[in-house]
Amino acid sequence: MALQGGPENSNAIDELSIKLLLVKLIDEVDKLNQKLDLIIEFDAKMLKIHKELLQGNPEQNSDYRTLKLEPDMMTLLSIPNSLRKTVIAIYKLQEATADDLSKETKRLRAVESASANQLVRLGFVNKKREGRKVYFCINASEISE
Amino acid sequence: MKGKIIAIHSSRGGTGKTTIATNLALNYANNGLNVALLDLDFRAPSLFSVFSKRIKTPVHWLNDFMVDRCTLEQSLIDASECFDTRGSLLLGLANPTLEAIRKVTGRSRSWEVSAAKKLFSIRKTLFDKKHIDYCIIDTSPGIQYSSINAVVSSDVAVVVVTLNPVDIEGVKKMLSEVYDEFEKKPWVLINKAYPQTRMWSSIKRAELAGQIEKVLEHPVIGVIPCYCDVLEPKNGTFLMMGNPNHPFFNDLQEVANKLEDM
Ligand SMILES: Nc1ncnc2c1ncn2[C@@H]1O[C@H](COP(=O)(O)OP(=O)(O)O)[C@@H](O)[C@H]1O
Ligand SMILES: [Mg+2]
Repeated sequence: MALQGGPENSNAIDELSIKLLLVKLIDEVDKLNQKLDLIIEFDAKMLKIHKELLQGNPEQNSDYRTLKLEPDMMTLLSIPNSLRKTVIAIYKLQEATADDLSKETKRLRAVESASANQLVRLGFVNKKREGRKVYFCINASEISE
Repeated sequence: MKGKIIAIHSSRGGTGKTTIATNLALNYANNGLNVALLDLDFRAPSLFSVFSKRIKTPVHWLNDFMVDRCTLEQSLIDASECFDTRGSLLLGLANPTLEAIRKVTGRSRSWEVSAAKKLFSIRKTLFDKKHIDYCIIDTSPGIQYSSINAVVSSDVAVVVVTLNPVDIEGVKKMLSEVYDEFEKKPWVLINKAYPQTRMWSSIKRAELAGQIEKVLEHPVIGVIPCYCDVLEPKNGTFLMMGNPNHPFFNDLQEVANKLEDM
């Protein structure tokens, strides 16, 4: 926008845009903080579940059941972006190798492989071997009313 | 050409999702394209009421497909003949009975996972078997499983928004908290814009669109004014066929063209 005025005026504009930038920056840091909190919370949940599993009989512990993770869309909103991308690609392809995933997401095969395997550990995704190929698919119990 | 799934979504109820989804479907079907129109708002079904005067009560609903009680094909009703469309018009309806709605509430998260898987699997039937060009999904408003499942599994999402500040704020939040997270790039459609926009030139409407684009940080696909005569009994349920010369359909035609060009 062409604003009239001498150097004084443009100084004021500079100052304003720096202020705006700072506000934006703080906003971004805030968002990052929120995400970090989610990841930490998520990790704590996982740790708890792992401990319970190691100590045996997790089914008897009600915590385990309520903390059970499902790759439903609301839960997906709370996991890191990079994992979410892989889950959605698996949903889309229904059954996919790391190669297929890499083609779908346009990320490196190694990234998809690591991401998919982490999803398997989290219980979101199933892994099955057919010959020399490894397929990933969404873990879902039978549907009923 | 491979078909496209278009989800019609909004932050709040009453913005015009059902009206737009229905008339967009009729528009494409009248123009010779094969269309499927699905009602995924299982908690507040509306498409059956929209079409009930013209069609028989379905044997299978989309609800039945979601729980594996029938195939997607079995749950689709062919309405091409009763609307005399050039292309085929298939309807997938949500069961509006209290009994069915009661079943929907209190579903588990694993149920929602299976439901999402189902939605991702409909393409084969729609596109390969039924040769559908456009599948239009009428969703439930806001952030709910049924709508997010539909939005994430679709190719294009259209978010219908009115100029009500509360609605705009809600959409802004939804776009950043859900759409951005899933890397979905939706179109925003302004509906029920101030009545005076009926008289506005396309340039002036584009200016309004630009202002909203700035606020929402997402592109606007069109501006449809509020047409109060929509509620006059003679216009019935406001279907394209009732009063095809109504300016609403011109506005919608522009939206339909833009969606096709993408
Ligand atoms: N552009 C418009 N002008 C006037 N009334 C409209 C317009 N679009 C929709 N409506 C009316 O608004 C009401 C709600 O629309 P509907 O499509 O049922 O919304 P939703 O599905 O989002 O809840 C209906 O009575 C409909 O006829
Ligand atoms: Mg509706």
